[in-house]
Amino acid sequence: MQRPSRYAMEFAMNDPFTPPSSSATRATVDPAGMAAYAADASKVYGMGDTEVHALRSVTVGFQTGHFTAIMGPSGSGKSTLMHCMAGLDRLTSGETYIGGVPLSTLNDKQLTELRRDRVGFIFQAFNLVPTLNALENITLPMDLGSRKPDKEWVDHVIKTVGLADRIKHRPNELSGGQQQRVAVARALASRPDIVFGDEPTGNLDSRTSAEILDFMRQAVRELGQTIVMVTHDPVSASYSDRVLFLDDGAIVHEMSDPTPSSVFDTIKSLGD
Amino acid sequence: MFKLVYRGIVANLGRLILTLVSVALGVSFVSGSFILADSLRAIFNQVSEDAFAGVDANVRAEIGELSNDQAPARFDDDIIEAISAIPGVAYAEGGIFTAEQVYTVDAEGETVRPTGPPVFAASWGGPSPVSSFTLVDGEAPAWQQVALDQAQADKGGFAIGDQVTLSIPTGDPEQFELSGIIDFGEGGTGGAFFILLDLPTTQRILGADGQVDSIVVNGGDTPTGQLLADITPVLPDGLEVVSGETVEQEQKDQFGSFINAFGTALLIFAFIVLFVSIFIIYNTFAILVGQRTRQFGLLRSIGASSRQISVMVLVESMIIGAIASVIGLFGGIGVAALLKQLFSTAGGELPDGPLEIKPRTIVVVVVVGLLVTVGSALLPAFRAARVSPLEAVRDGGRKERSLRFRLISAAVVLLPGIGLLLFGMFGSIDGTTRRLVIIGIGAALSFIGASMASVLFAGPVAGVLGAPIANSRGIVGRLARDNAARNPQRTAATATALMIGLALITGVSVLASSLLASLDELLEDSIAADVFVVGARQAPQFSPLVVERMAELPEVEAVSGSLSVKAKLDGEVITIASYDTATGTRVINTDVVEGDVATLGTDGIAVLESEAKDRGLAPGDTVTIEMEDGFIGQLTIKAVFADQAAVRSPWFIDRELARTHVAADQVEEVGVVFSDSVTFEEGRAAVDEALQAFPQLESLDNSEYQEETQARVNQFQIIIYGLLVLCLIVAFIGIVNTLALSVLERIREIGLLRAVGTTRGQLKASVRWEAVIVSVFGSMLGIVMGLALGTATAVAVPGSFFSKIAIPWIQIAFFLVIGAAIGVVAAYFPARRAAKLNVLDAIAHE
Ligand SMILES: Nc1ncnc2c1ncn2[C@@H]1O[C@H](COP(=O)(O)OP(=O)(O)O)[C@@H](O)[C@H]1O
Ligand SMILES: [Mg+2]
Repeated sequence: MQRPSRYAMEFAMNDPFTPPSSSATRATVDPAGMAAYAADASKVYGMGDTEVHALRSVTVGFQTGHFTAIMGPSGSGKSTLMHCMAGLDRLTSGETYIGGVPLSTLNDKQLTELRRDRVGFIFQAFNLVPTLNALENITLPMDLGSRKPDKEWVDHVIKTVGLADRIKHRPNELSGGQQQRVAVARALASRPDIVFGDEPTGNLDSRTSAEILDFMRQAVRELGQTIVMVTHDPVSASYSDRVLFLDDGAIVHEMSDPTPSSVFDTIKSLGD
Repeated sequence: MFKLVYRGIVANLGRLILTLVSVALGVSFVSGSFILADSLRAIFNQVSEDAFAGVDANVRAEIGELSNDQAPARFDDDIIEAISAIPGVAYAEGGIFTAEQVYTVDAEGETVRPTGPPVFAASWGGPSPVSSFTLVDGEAPAWQQVALDQAQADKGGFAIGDQVTLSIPTGDPEQFELSGIIDFGEGGTGGAFFILLDLPTTQRILGADGQVDSIVVNGGDTPTGQLLADITPVLPDGLEVVSGETVEQEQKDQFGSFINAFGTALLIFAFIVLFVSIFIIYNTFAILVGQRTRQFGLLRSIGASSRQISVMVLVESMIIGAIASVIGLFGGIGVAALLKQLFSTAGGELPDGPLEIKPRTIVVVVVVGLLVTVGSALLPAFRAARVSPLEAVRDGGRKERSLRFRLISAAVVLLPGIGLLLFGMFGSIDGTTRRLVIIGIGAALSFIGASMASVLFAGPVAGVLGAPIANSRGIVGRLARDNAARNPQRTAATATALMIGLALITGVSVLASSLLASLDELLEDSIAADVFVVGARQAPQFSPLVVERMAELPEVEAVSGSLSVKAKLDGEVITIASYDTATGTRVINTDVVEGDVATLGTDGIAVLESEAKDRGLAPGDTVTIEMEDGFIGQLTIKAVFADQAAVRSPWFIDRELARTHVAADQVEEVGVVFSDSVTFEEGRAAVDEALQAFPQLESLDNSEYQEETQARVNQFQIIIYGLLVLCLIVAFIGIVNTLALSVLERIREIGLLRAVGTTRGQLKASVRWEAVIVSVFGSMLGIVMGLALGTATAVAVPGSFFSKIAIPWIQIAFFLVIGAAIGVVAAYFPARRAAKLNVLDAIAHE
């Protein structure tokens, strides 16, 4: 894997698929100022006949302090993008950066430590270690790195997610919504450069889902966190600052300041 | 249905492999024990047949219940003529046969002997119809000549025509001319050395002029019954004639009882190993059933009966048991060959012969393999049957049994187990087999009960054991501790395998060290002799001439020889110890409570305090004793020993009385006290000089004696440890197995841990610490049980055998370290496997 060439970057900036309305956002793309950045990222699964291009030369950046939603049909490569950007998987070609660090240069141990110290990840389900209680799950990444948690910050996060009274409970004593809140709290507790969520509210009812999304938006607005989240739901997407639309491994559209209806309309228009 | 079983086994093959291995190991040991014992029996039967080929009748001194089984009684050889003269007798030869009395001495003056097997010296009349020896080269020995086997001649560097030095029990070494090389029977000497001389020479050097210990007769065409009937009338009192088959069978039985004891000992270890693997099989099936709860629920919801579910699990276990049995059967051949090799290198040198696999072995092995496997899977199978159709949709929150229920059921198994164990060890039971079975069942129940009870505290104890790890290793230690404490049943069953091995090892170590400590105490308190003269291990008895030789030395002030004889007291056969009472107290400080040993004379007897109490006897009372030669004597109790006295038997007489009424006048140990005018070194040198004529004997001072005993105890201990190590290996496999299955069960969790930043190293460390907690838990349980078991046994052994209990703390600490190390090593593969998992695959794992 190579570092992105100037040519690739320029190519990305003139991405023919990107509608003109987004060019203003695109103009600010600069790997160094980004919490996370992907340049010319491609991911191919399998070989020969079974070859699947999950990502096709995707170039995208996530600015610090922004809340981004990623949408797209099933199989469009959303999870693959999240995984590769979060250092859970490696690209076939191209490069991803976290806080300016090119991930392809890291070995497994360094990548693991990067996930531990600089990235938060929320899966759709099964986010918690069953033998640890909520608080221990939240501080797990810091404990693994023998880092002292910033107590004030952790308390603040816990209070904000509304878990103060359940903090000593084990995951099997918590509801699905509470478990996801713990997961969000864990992702934020170590103040990572960026938090990725792969359909973090996908398994929840709309009320619980709304609470968690509210909290995530709050974390971005008030705590200055950076969050990228995959979702299928236009309402969920409307909590974000910006929505990226993925199809067949490429970003086909993006919009700022989404509302449920504008997202819905865009999905409809893209589907045509 | 059977398709499901098949699929189940194929899908879980990897998970069942280690279970298979542990069953196969135990079964191999069972089949190996049988194969080895059968093979040895075949070999020694051949030896017996060789020894009595051509012998139709055998004349010997009558064998009574008081006979010395180490030396046959001799009788006058004039009877040979009378027997030869009987018309039905074709050939008769009288002879003497001895073990460990005569040796060849090489040019360096060293005794020539094999490492393990004995050295025999016998008279031989040359090739004849009754001879079990064949002449390979040269001539049969004549007066002052000797014939040797090839191996001995090679080792000593002797060639035909050479003068060979023989050490003889009646005097100084002498020179004999090597007349020929001989071999024994069909199968060779089996490693033993033979020294053959003609009868007059044999009689002379053994001090048995005009005496033989048997006459072998060939009857030609005379039927055996006729032959025996013809011989009987010419025999004087005290002699008997038996058929060749009878002596051959007696010989076979005598070998057989040794082989049986040996085979039984091996079988006991085999069953211990199998017993340990029960916990592993149980654990595996319990885990597999747990993992398939959903599947069973689904099957139940589509109409499978609970019976069908349990049958499914049992058939799975049956297939595993069958495969393991077949592997074990063949493994047994390897085990038998290996054990044979092991004993040979250890100096036992077993004779050559093919390995015998009897149909009985095959049946036993397959039945045992199947029973153990299916039996261990019973409980998990019933649990599987209890899965409700609803559990297909529910996530398996297992119903926990109440504490009370567990406590009561553990007690119900444990208490009778301990009871049986104690009864088996110290109760009055007829028959060794029955005793062993009772002890075995008692021990098994105790261990199962202890295992059941350990479920109760496995969680908390694992938590406590893990606390220092959690504190020092941070979150990694924390995870390890929580995982170890997570499933108490699993932890308990895994730990049990280790517990059993370590309990037995610790028990043995406590007994061995207590034995040595008791002995030290005894030696310190009781032994006054400067040196003891003792015989070879294979032949502890030797000629009383040694006592005279020692007494003649100017450096020696007092000598006392000892001998144990059998006698009848009130119709009961007992062993009576004897020594030279006039000088004996100079040699051994026996603790006398009442009376004086020096006054025993030939009409007195001494008794141990507790024995006297048991029989209601007091000093001055008389007891009636019958001895080997038929002598019946009224002996007066003239002294009473304290129970802790250093005497070998509860009854005690003067050696003069003992030796005059036994057929073979021998001694077993001679204590020597040096006179005050010489230094210890001078005395020792004089004794050793005199002993040059008796190369099979050696002198030992107190500390050497102690070392010698210690060496014997240690050697015994090492053999037992060696066999028990197999238990540890099975326990090791059990830990690997449980960890591997647990890792498989936790794949998603592992994926998650890796995703949030657990490094491979941290993950490995956590699996390793988990294993250490489980294995230390098992080891501690085992050590505690072993301490209890060993101490209880030492305390309860009757008599003054263990005067002191010594707990070898350093050894025990070492066992604990070994236990922990077993955990660390066992964790290697499961940990590696966990660390190698792909993060995303693991998270996506169902
Ligand atoms: N491990 C894999 N092996 C092969 N193909 C995969 C793998 N993971 C994802 N894919 C394929 O890559 C494409 C994108 O998958 P994914 O990123 O999971 O899409 P989304 O999350 O948008 O539904 C799909 O066609 C999927 O089948
Ligand atoms: Mg997806």
